[in-house]
Amino acid sequence: MKERAFITLTNGFKDKLYRLAKRLLVSNEEAEDATQEILLKLWRNKTKMAEYKNVEAFAMTMTKNYCYDKLKAKETGNLKIVHSNYKDERPSLQRQVEAKDSLEWVGKIMDGLPEQQRMIIQLRDIEQYNNAEIAEMLEMNETAVRVALSRGRKTIRQELLKKHNYGVG
Amino acid sequence: MELAKLEKLLDKYFEGETTLSEEKELKVYFTGESVPSHLERYKDLFQFFSEESQVTASSEISLNANTNKVPWYTWIGVAASIALIVGLFMTNILPGSDPGKGPLLVMEGDLGTIEDPELALQKTKEALDLVASLMNEGKKDLVYLNEFDTAKKELVYLNEFETAKNKLIK
Repeated sequence: MKERAFITLTNGFKDKLYRLAKRLLVSNEEAEDATQEILLKLWRNKTKMAEYKNVEAFAMTMTKNYCYDKLKAKETGNLKIVHSNYKDERPSLQRQVEAKDSLEWVGKIMDGLPEQQRMIIQLRDIEQYNNAEIAEMLEMNETAVRVALSRGRKTIRQELLKKHNYGVG
Repeated sequence: MELAKLEKLLDKYFEGETTLSEEKELKVYFTGESVPSHLERYKDLFQFFSEESQVTASSEISLNANTNKVPWYTWIGVAASIALIVGLFMTNILPGSDPGKGPLLVMEGDLGTIEDPELALQKTKEALDLVASLMNEGKKDLVYLNEFDTAKKELVYLNEFETAKNKLIK
């Protein structure tokens, strides 16, 4: 496979890899590193690429495993994930400070979810994969995906409700 | 969308039972303007989802980071050194290529022998003179050794002891 073909193939989903990595690792830089690493791994194994049924799903699985490894390494190393990108630097920031704040709040709620639920919500609600695809990517069965999805969504709802009530009262 | 249907859809959504297209409907609805106030709180959620799906990596990801590409100019250095080494050896290996001159770097058997006897004599003399002059120069410093001789002469008086001793033995 030529480099050009590989790039056009991966361009279709490399942002999804990045977003998944970012969801798990939180830090922009680490997510970029992870994406780069995954794409390089794919590129090195390009000869085997034809064997994979679904390169995209495979890459997602790789990303998940890579991020898990990273997170585990951090835990054992007793390190906290250090990042400074809770704030979004887009120019519209000034105009919609309040709206942004509440969106960030949702992001924080999501970061508080268990990793699996976080990933499933990311893949389902943001990337819009169906449950079968998610099950394949995360190496789970579909029912488990649905249950985790529902749990994650309900937790978010609860947290939103709390916040909303504080806001009102 | 009517409210009753919407609320039912939301319930289904939190049970994880909505289809992707239903979820899209929800997303469209909640990112729109007219959301009833008691459902306002879900606006953030769906807005968050649709915004997050636009996030992209800020730095371009490159494939060539370490695909083992060595820049072409490093090979020039390698080629130059090989050429140099081969060049040096070739002049040694192929002495017959220029019979008049002989090999350039071979020194064996060539000890600077001079065929003309006159010249040889002169050269030898020069060489010996050089050695002699250096010798004389070195010898000058040895003058101090004469002090030993003079000191030894003084010790002659010690013989007096000997003679006196001999007398006593008798």
